Parts: sequence; structure tokens; C-alpha cells
Amino acid sequence: MRALIFLSCIFAFGLRAADLEAYSEFARLDPFGVVIEADRPAGQPLSGPNGVVALRGARGGYVSFRLAARLSKPGPYSVTFAWNTPATNLTAEAFREWFHYTEPKNSYYPDALAPVKLPYRSQLPEPDNRIEKQTVQTFWVDIWIPRDTAPGVYRGEARIEGDGKKVSRRIELQVLPASIPEKEIVAIDHNSYGSEWLSSQYPKLRQRLGEKFFASDEFFGLIHSYHRIFYEHLGVFHQLGYGHGGKVGPEFAPELDGSGRTKRIKSWSLYDRHYGPLLDGSAFAGTRRGAQPIPFVYLPINPEWPASFLWWGEPGYETEFVNVVREMEQHFRDKGWTKTAFEMFFNHKKRYKAFPWDGDETRFPNDNRYFAEYARLLKKAVPPGSQVHFRFRSDSSWMMGQQFKELAGVIDFWVLGGSELSWYKEVPAMLRARGDIVWMYGGTPEVTESSGAITFAPFQTWIWGAEGFVRWLTVSPGADPWFRFGGGDTVLAYSGDRFAIDGPIPSVRLKLQRNCVQDLTLLDSLKTRKPFEELRAGAASRYNSSRYEDWWPPRPAAADLPPYEMTNATIAENSKPVKDLAARVDAQSWEKVRVWILQLAVGGK
Amino acid sequence: MMRAFVTFVLFAACLPAETPSEIARQLDEIGRVATVMVDGDAAKRIVTKRALESFRKVDPKDPWVASDNFDVNHEPYIQVKKTLIRLSKLASFPCDVNLWSPVEGMPGRIQIVIRNVHEMSQFWSWGVLHQDTPPRLKAVLETGKRVTVTDRPDMISVLAPVYDSLGDVVAVAEAVAQEKPNPRENVK
Repeated sequence: MRALIFLSCIFAFGLRAADLEAYSEFARLDPFGVVIEADRPAGQPLSGPNGVVALRGARGGYVSFRLAARLSKPGPYSVTFAWNTPATNLTAEAFREWFHYTEPKNSYYPDALAPVKLPYRSQLPEPDNRIEKQTVQTFWVDIWIPRDTAPGVYRGEARIEGDGKKVSRRIELQVLPASIPEKEIVAIDHNSYGSEWLSSQYPKLRQRLGEKFFASDEFFGLIHSYHRIFYEHLGVFHQLGYGHGGKVGPEFAPELDGSGRTKRIKSWSLYDRHYGPLLDGSAFAGTRRGAQPIPFVYLPINPEWPASFLWWGEPGYETEFVNVVREMEQHFRDKGWTKTAFEMFFNHKKRYKAFPWDGDETRFPNDNRYFAEYARLLKKAVPPGSQVHFRFRSDSSWMMGQQFKELAGVIDFWVLGGSELSWYKEVPAMLRARGDIVWMYGGTPEVTESSGAITFAPFQTWIWGAEGFVRWLTVSPGADPWFRFGGGDTVLAYSGDRFAIDGPIPSVRLKLQRNCVQDLTLLDSLKTRKPFEELRAGAASRYNSSRYEDWWPPRPAAADLPPYEMTNATIAENSKPVKDLAARVDAQSWEKVRVWILQLAVGGK
Repeated sequence: MMRAFVTFVLFAACLPAETPSEIARQLDEIGRVATVMVDGDAAKRIVTKRALESFRKVDPKDPWVASDNFDVNHEPYIQVKKTLIRLSKLASFPCDVNLWSPVEGMPGRIQIVIRNVHEMSQFWSWGVLHQDTPPRLKAVLETGKRVTVTDRPDMISVLAPVYDSLGDVVAVAEAVAQEKPNPRENVK
């Protein structure tokens, strides 16, 4: 108890009345001004002995920090930030951090970020967050450094007014000559399922539009806004449009007509409203990254669509499949949608009782023949030399070792379980050399974990030589994320409905992840100056005191078990070395890597 | 013949939503036909012996051991699933026909063995491999009598017995539909 009081004294900032302090993006505070336990390694205020907050960043990227506004007693306050150099093209965006009461820990954690205009005026306790005795409100601040910003030092000032006083905090940002490449080095993918969740997460819009909700421009606008938020955070958004039994959501597939040799596409109406702006890039007009087509999209193909499983093994199945997919290829080609990888991906599992084979995480060797058959059908449907890019994706775990061999030339987009992949050091390079795409998949750290935990997946992806990482579900906040939060392992973008925003709002973890990806992208670009092996080793040692060799532990004997004899326990035991690496990541880990990257970027060692 | 069948289905799909009584009537007809058409011997061969053995496995370190080992014999599965799909096409509205069968060696337990495209059922808890036999299903297994069930709001099921070559009721076909189908439900 004494230790707790001591720590609280150390990490609770400011003893004056109204106060404003800046913290690292990795130091999250609770609504009483205490740095949350998991982030305490990064918990010191950023201001130096002279009271100035010194920041540093490369062009074409973000620099982020946290402002904590404190009042000694309940009352009104305002917070603002302004550059002292009026002509600068730097922009600062502020977000109020929502404190989620998180049941498993009986504590508050900031995560959802509500955009605010500066100056921000409110009162403490914040009326909508309903936290009795709240004394501190924190704000995430993003500074965007355009590519054409002149290198140099830029000065600004953050200010709080409250308790009848004004307190300022000077901010100095050093813009480095280095620029972050435009194309991110790892694709962090944010997965979702269907579209019905939008109606429950946007009850005001749903009520306003009534029965017309799912056919409205607002509905498609909402979907596009989710793509935009992940795109702007250097990520990808995926929406799976069919269920385990093969039912396809109306806006995820063209409408079909007929049966057997007469089966054809009847209408592209909903599909084009949904995907047209995403596939031609117009949905991203006005964003900082510019209007670009989405790089990846699921096709609605499953064992029940476009061919009915009723005809499986009969000529009608092939006819229905080939005719419809051929029409799709033609449509995509006519539209010029040639920059996106269209993924044929099977998500069903036999345990859900709708089909006799596992499309996802295949475990039984007998199921591989279905993949071979679908590859044959796809090849027959798509004209040779088509400019439309079709990929056959498989999310693989138990059987990846066998599938790499047996499905060579069948699967060309692998999304791999990280635990099992740790047994196959040579695989990412081998698959990429034959033209396959290599991603990994997994979950999302809860808010209760260290703020540094969100950086592990991007870093592991990069250091393993993979190209992407799928977070399996990222838009599902739970029944009541605002006042009875479950921890957030399936959400990185929240509904803005509570804040009168018809679209998603970001989270602290999404922004931490974005900043990590931009750092990795800059680091990877430095391999023109420094051997890649040195970059890898240098980053690993600073990240969690690891060596590159630690990331690829010796292949265990269990890796040679038949896949159907493996258990989750076997896998957990035999992938422990990599999990131990994750456990060594704390709230300071990434900052150490970042400091080094920026040093390298300006020619240091 | 096929063209006439397709024409009927397309025509039926364009019809306005049926009344609950009409839905129940058509489902009852499907149930009657299912009793004749679904092969009970094939149904018994669907789940592999190894999968059935795994139902009883409990591993505190691996809560998914039974699900991960669920497997089926493809040939009888596909044969029966195709029959169920054909039966569902007799309805003039979106309809699923599911297959339920008692779990061999686990008295009182039942499993849904085959589901279909709309993923409708009045009895299945999403994701479970097997479950206690609901009284409605138990009654059909014991009596061989077809029944209509409307326990869940907006959903109508007809449960029909499925016989093997010995004349025993070995499974139950659930023909199920919703009064107001939701095109986005279960797209996940």
C-alpha cells in the first residue's frame, strides 16, 4: 500500500492548480493523472529542465504526443495549441481521450479518440464520460509533417485556462531532412465481417433512415469511412461478405439469376455502389495519402457462391462458377479495377457444420483437394494475361508445412499463424521468391496491456520478412465500450455515434500502430545505406534486448507431427520462445527503436 | 424438367412474403418429403469415428480439442447435404433444411450435422458441436411424429423423422424459415 501511494506520488503530475503537461504517446494516464501501471516505464513528462517539450520527426509522417490538462477542482477549462510561426504548413490535430471503465481491471484506460477543435472548451469532470472526481483530461495530439516542409525547428505553445489561471507549455518540433517513403513496408490489415454491425453501432443514423438504412448513400458512406480511417492510419480494411453457410450479403456480391448454364449476373448495382469508389480510389479523395484504390479485397466466392453446392462434383458446378467469375473479371476489367488484388478466400470450417471441408485453418490433409479444384476453376474462369489480379488466399496454421508444398501454384496468398510460422524460418523468403504474398494473422492487444504491445505484430512481421499482418477483428467494441469495457481486443476504431459523428473515430492503439509502421517504413528504406542485417539486429536489440536469432528458435520435434495430432497446447509449448519475446516489450521499447531510426535517418550511427 | 424447376423457383422467389400459416404449411410438406427422401443410413455415416471419440476429450490446456478434431466422411455428407438443399428449394421463400442426429455413445446428447446457407435453426447454439437434446427433437426421435415448432419469435420449424434401413428413427430433419428474412443476418 505504501508503495502504491509512493508510485502515485511519482506518476501523478503537477501539484499546482491548473496545469498542462506533455507525455509520450506511450504513456497513458488515468482520469486522475496517474500513469497507468502498464505504461510506467514511459511515464516521465516530456518537458525538459527548461520546461520545453522537444519533439523530433521525419517529413511525410506524424509526430504524436499527449497533453494532460489538470484542474485542482471541478470547473470549466479550455485547452489550445498554436504554432508561433504562422506560415508553417505543419498541422496539429487534437483528440480527446475517452476513459473506458474496464471491468476486468476495475480501472480506467484511455483509448477511443474523439476529434476536437482547438481551442477545446469543456469542464471537469467531463460531463459525458461521467467519472466522479475526474481531475485530468488527456488529449492525443498528432502533428502532420508534409513532405515539403522545410527542415528546421518549429515552435508552438500549448495552453490551458482553468481554475482562474493560464498555464503554457512550449513545444519545439525538429523537422528532419529525412522523408518517410509513401508506401508502408508492412500492410497491417483490419478485418471485419458483414455489415449488420453498422446498424447497431450507428443507432441514430439507423433510426433516422429507418428501413432505407442499408440502401442509403449514408450506409455506403459509412463503409467507405471505415476504409478511409484505416488507410489514413497506414493500414488496410477487409470486410468478409459471406457467412459460414455461404450466405452472401447483398452489397458484397453482384446479384445472380438463373441456374446451371443459364446462371448469370443480373445486377451490379449494390456491388458497384459499395466497391466502385474503393476500387477506383475515389473514396479516398481528400485524404493525406491521396486517392488510391484499395490494395486488397475479398471476393464473395465460397462453396455456395456463385455455384450452388447442390451441383458440387457435377458439370453444373463448374459451369456456374466459371461463367459468373468470367463475367466478374470482365466487369472489373471494363471498370479499370486493375490495381487491387481480388482474393478468393474460404473462411468456413467444418465444425460449423455447413460444408465438409475446412477452408480456414485446414487441419486434415484430405481437404487440400478442394483448394486444388477451386484453383482449377479460377484458372478456367480468368482469361490468360488478364490485367485483373486474382489471388487465391489461404489462412493456414496446422498444415502450413504440407500446404506450402502440396499447394504450390494453387495458393499464392498465404496468411499464416505466427506460432507455427516460427518453425519455418526459411518460408517467408521462399514463398516471396515464387511470387506469393506472405502475411501473418493474430489478435489485438487489450488496452490493459502495455501500450508497447501494439507494436509487436508490425515489428515481428517486418523482422520475419513477411509483408502483412491481419488483425482478425477490429471494429467490434463489445456491448458497452464506453462504461463497461471488456478490454478491446477486437476493436481499433470505434463508432463516432456518441460524438455525433457519422463515421468511425480512431483509438490510441491505432495511432500507436500507425506511428510504428511509419517508423518501420523509414527504417527499411535505410537499407540503401546500411546492410539490412545490421538494421534488423540494431532494431531487435533496442526493442527488447533480443538478437535476430532469438526470433527464429530451433525447429521443435513437434513440428513434424501430423497436423491432426497437434493440439493447441503443443503449439503453445513449442512457440514459447517467440511469446517470451513479446512479453519483454514494454512502453519504452518502441521509443528506443524510434530514437535510433531517426538518428540513422540523419546520418548517425 | 430442370428448366421448369428453375422457372418455378424464380417465380416463387418473386412472390410477396407468405403468411405464417402458409410458411408452416409448406415447411410441413417439406418435412413430409424429407422423411421419405433423406437417407438415414448415410446420415449415420457422416461424422467420423475419430471425431466422435474427440467429443469426449477434455483437455484443460486445450479448450478447442473437440472442435479442432471435428471431421466428416465427405461422401455421405455431400450426398445428404444435396438432398437437404433440394428439399429447401421446394419452398417459395428462403428456407434451410438441417440435419440433427443423436451422438453415438453419449445418451441425451444431439448434434447438428448439416446446416445450410441461411444458417437458420431454432435449436442450435452457434458454434457448439453437440448439446443436450431439446425436448422437441427428443419427442420426434421417440415418437417418429412430425411437429411444427414456433418457440422462437419470427421463426417456424417443422421437425421430421429420418429413418434408416432398419426402420429406426436415426435423425431429425429441421425445415426452418423466418417470417421476415434478414438478408444480412449470419453474414459473418
